[in-house]
Amino acid sequence: MRKSFRAGAVAMLAAAAMLTAGCSGNSGSDNGSAANDPNQKVELTYWAWAPNLDKVVEVWNEKNPNIHVTVNKQDGGDPAVTKLLTAVKAGSGAPDLIQAEYQKIPTLVAADALADLSGTEANETKSHFPEGVWNDVTLGGDALYSVPQDTGPMVFYYRADVFEKLGLSVPTTWDQYAQAAKAVHAADPEAYLGTFSSNDAGWFTGMTQQARASWWGIDGDAWSVSIDKEATQKVAGYWGGLVEEGIIDNKPMYTPEWNTALNTGKQVGWLSAAWGPGVLSGNAGSTAGQWKVAPMPQWDAAKPSTGNWGGSSTAVTSQSKNLDAAAKFATWLNTDPEAVKALVTETGIYPADTEGAKSALTEAPAFFSNQPDFYDVVGDAAQSVSSFTYGPNVNVAYNAYNDQFAKAAQSKQKSAFLDAVKSMQQVTVEDLLQTGFTVK
Amino acid sequence: MAMTVTKPGPAADTAAGTTRRAKNFKSRVLIPYAMLAPGIILFLVFMAAPIVYTLVLSFQKKKVSGLGLGKGSQSQVFAGLENYVSALTDPEFLGSVLRVLLYGLILIPLMLGFALLFALLLDSRRTRAGSFSRTAIFLPYAVPAVISSLLWGFLYLPGVSPFHFLARQFGVALPSLLDPNLVTFAICNIALWGGVGFNMIVMYTSLKAVPSEIYEAAKLDGCSEIQTALRIKIPIIAPSLVMTALFSMIATLQVFAEPTTLRPLANSLSTSWSPLMLVYRDAFTRNDVFSAAATSIVIAAATFIISFLFLRVVQKRAFGQEN
Amino acid sequence: MTTLAPRRTANGKSQRSSMRVDSVQEKPSYLSTGILILGALYCLFPVIWVVAAASKDGTELFSTFTLAPSTHLWDNIVALTEYRDGLFWRWMANTALYAGVGAVLSTWVSALSGYVLAKFEFPGKTGIFKVLLMGVLVPGVILAIPQYLMLAQAGLTNTYWSVLLPQIISPYGIYLARIYAAASVPGDVIEAARTEGAKEMYIFNRIAAPMMLPGLVTIFLFQFVAIWNNFMLPYIMLGDDHLFPITVGLNGLLNQGASAPALYTLVLAGALLSIVPLVIMFLLLQRYWRVDLAAGAVKA
Repeated sequence: MRKSFRAGAVAMLAAAAMLTAGCSGNSGSDNGSAANDPNQKVELTYWAWAPNLDKVVEVWNEKNPNIHVTVNKQDGGDPAVTKLLTAVKAGSGAPDLIQAEYQKIPTLVAADALADLSGTEANETKSHFPEGVWNDVTLGGDALYSVPQDTGPMVFYYRADVFEKLGLSVPTTWDQYAQAAKAVHAADPEAYLGTFSSNDAGWFTGMTQQARASWWGIDGDAWSVSIDKEATQKVAGYWGGLVEEGIIDNKPMYTPEWNTALNTGKQVGWLSAAWGPGVLSGNAGSTAGQWKVAPMPQWDAAKPSTGNWGGSSTAVTSQSKNLDAAAKFATWLNTDPEAVKALVTETGIYPADTEGAKSALTEAPAFFSNQPDFYDVVGDAAQSVSSFTYGPNVNVAYNAYNDQFAKAAQSKQKSAFLDAVKSMQQVTVEDLLQTGFTVK
Repeated sequence: MAMTVTKPGPAADTAAGTTRRAKNFKSRVLIPYAMLAPGIILFLVFMAAPIVYTLVLSFQKKKVSGLGLGKGSQSQVFAGLENYVSALTDPEFLGSVLRVLLYGLILIPLMLGFALLFALLLDSRRTRAGSFSRTAIFLPYAVPAVISSLLWGFLYLPGVSPFHFLARQFGVALPSLLDPNLVTFAICNIALWGGVGFNMIVMYTSLKAVPSEIYEAAKLDGCSEIQTALRIKIPIIAPSLVMTALFSMIATLQVFAEPTTLRPLANSLSTSWSPLMLVYRDAFTRNDVFSAAATSIVIAAATFIISFLFLRVVQKRAFGQEN
Repeated sequence: MTTLAPRRTANGKSQRSSMRVDSVQEKPSYLSTGILILGALYCLFPVIWVVAAASKDGTELFSTFTLAPSTHLWDNIVALTEYRDGLFWRWMANTALYAGVGAVLSTWVSALSGYVLAKFEFPGKTGIFKVLLMGVLVPGVILAIPQYLMLAQAGLTNTYWSVLLPQIISPYGIYLARIYAAASVPGDVIEAARTEGAKEMYIFNRIAAPMMLPGLVTIFLFQFVAIWNNFMLPYIMLGDDHLFPITVGLNGLLNQGASAPALYTLVLAGALLSIVPLVIMFLLLQRYWRVDLAAGAVKA
């Protein structure tokens, strides 16, 4: 039925297709020819959203006239993946390469959207990356689905001037964080040390990761889902308590209101990731030199750990006809010292390549010029990232986070935060079962 | 467009037998259909076929085997009515329908009421600044919903809103329009802002088409302006009112851009606030086009039924006018 | 849109609109003028706000009173122009192409279909009209996914065609054109042309279409705005941001993902600039939004 319908659709579109003969629209990777001959010119398209990535790619294009890469800028991780999945469903229209966030990889692999790179030179890059990151791109198996690009180890940004004025010391545990939050809010009822954002599932995931949660797991031929377990309950209950007490804001981040609060000093801290300086300088440029970075507050100060928020990799799509050329580019982009250096200066990311990060990140970002040891703090954090396994329906779980925690944040009740965790677990498991996965 | 041509004229009428029938067929069937062909083909390709495709998708579902990670471990299987059953019994879907009904109940009377009021005022000979006002009120129609929602979002957020700023200067704390119990009004306001001018123009044009003798007569009979408006003008433009009401209803059922743009600004809107948001979420966020297709069909069917009943009631007025 | 109900039609009796303004000046009413101006201010307020906001730099936008204008409008426009080598202006040009060319094609197809449906008698006429009209009820969001899947089969996604072609068909435009044709093209004019041996397409292009012209401008404007407003279709169809229309482009500047700041100053300046051409077009073509169909018809 589907086949014949397709034929019908094609026939109907034949007239439309003939019109295109005269139009040289951008038809993506379809025109790429097999790249067996090294001297043959290859055209690759690359969907990515990191700002200024095209400038890094220019360096490659100058050096490699035979493999020309064109960056098509995307609206961020979710829309890019959405479009890729639709293109895979349609059987054409996908680019050769895509910037894929780590949590999207299982979903993309499940949809057969990514090519296996284990037979290419990308497989030789293992030694460049921390083990946890490598695990994210192999899903613990023999295949390699992507080359790591950047990570987002979480750290704590705070307004050093405000802390000094209030006589506060930097919190090293979550108990101290709560006390500092109380003090900040008591000194100025409009000011908060932070906000609980129901919009940013990745942020919350990173914080549960720090508490050593791992929401999915593989058990033989079955998936397990452990969202509603002790670690996540602990984190949700902690934040629910702070919101209920009214000492932490309950509004989403990345709104004009939040920007204003950053500028006017009403948001005194931000639990964020290594890429934070770019956002802070873009949204609150007037506060340059007043912020400092510190490690995340800890649950157990004796066993420090942190989570990841964000971070992405370079994957080759299953529709690419130039697997080797694309893998070659992805390897260069993420492990060549010159490329990594350019990634740092042009896009402001924190490279996943351990050695590359060390040599490229010598100087603190301009926004933090008051803190020369900026990258020492971030580098230590990157070493203490806990392991975390993503499942094939991260999108469903994240969407449940948005809806359930929006309600909870609005209600300002600790119990609602715990209910939200329960709902997330339920929605995620039900979705897996409904699609036919085995869940243990 | 190469069109076959007839030469009708007197000869066609007098010609005899087969020629005549052939010509008749040509001019009665071939020519109209040839001229309709561009419209019909485009309709079939870009509207009918997608709807059929959606129907096909709505009876299927995704099936995985094992961990679902290897090649070919996911397949598409026949689902029967499963997607429809889960759409119709989904509390989120029912919730979104109820929210949108409430939204429509607030929005449509306000929108049509203000549009009619402005149209009548524009039509009144005693109103000044008509041309300026007409342009100003119509202007928002030119602003895409994505952009207008962003602008209003700035005006709603207490931290950046000039209204809240001014209120604070006077020591008043305004409630945030983005709070859960007010957010429906916030969305209504954006839709009202964007749509009132368009409906006003429709009604105003109908008013302009009324011959002025009628008003002169009414005036001689001693009708006041308000009486004229209520007893003569409104009944005369009733068909316009019916059509604007119908199109407003359809637009209401399809509300999407405004809540989607406002959602990240506050905690009060879920990703399934309106039925189309639910469809979008299922199709794109959850990557389940099959459920989304079923929900789409349910929404389209409901729209058909509502519009059909509505038009049935008023059909003579709306369509009985040509020739 | 202007004439959903052209009650007074082909006989040309009701040409009052032009004369009426000149007739007796009556005493102005402050109440009705006041209400109307309040309505106008309500509609203008967000526009005034965006003018003020677009004149601020990033820090001012989030720290000063939101209605106070600043001096950075030109800086913002320059920054927007410099953003990725003038991509913004490319988006503007794309929008003009999608909406302009799309609306012209759409108007022509609508006019032809509406004319045939109004002026020809043929089997299946009512049925075709009803089926076409049902298209008004189908939401674009629902059509966008299957349209994408189908266009992908033809290899047309991520091209100008993928946004242009699906928006040529406009059931609403056909509906309006049918009303205009019925009201403004007299049957005896067509008959007379046929008697003289004119071809049917000639009659449509040279005789009927000019008679329908004021109404066709309305359809054009209507379709122009519809394409301009359609976010979902280009959002799904296009991967290459050099093909984006302005709405999708600005949305991208707002949603850059968590690790990049939203470029609010650029977006607001872009929003302001994007409204300007539409406002100019509305002002220029304004009289067509109140077109009186009776004015143009039978005299031919």
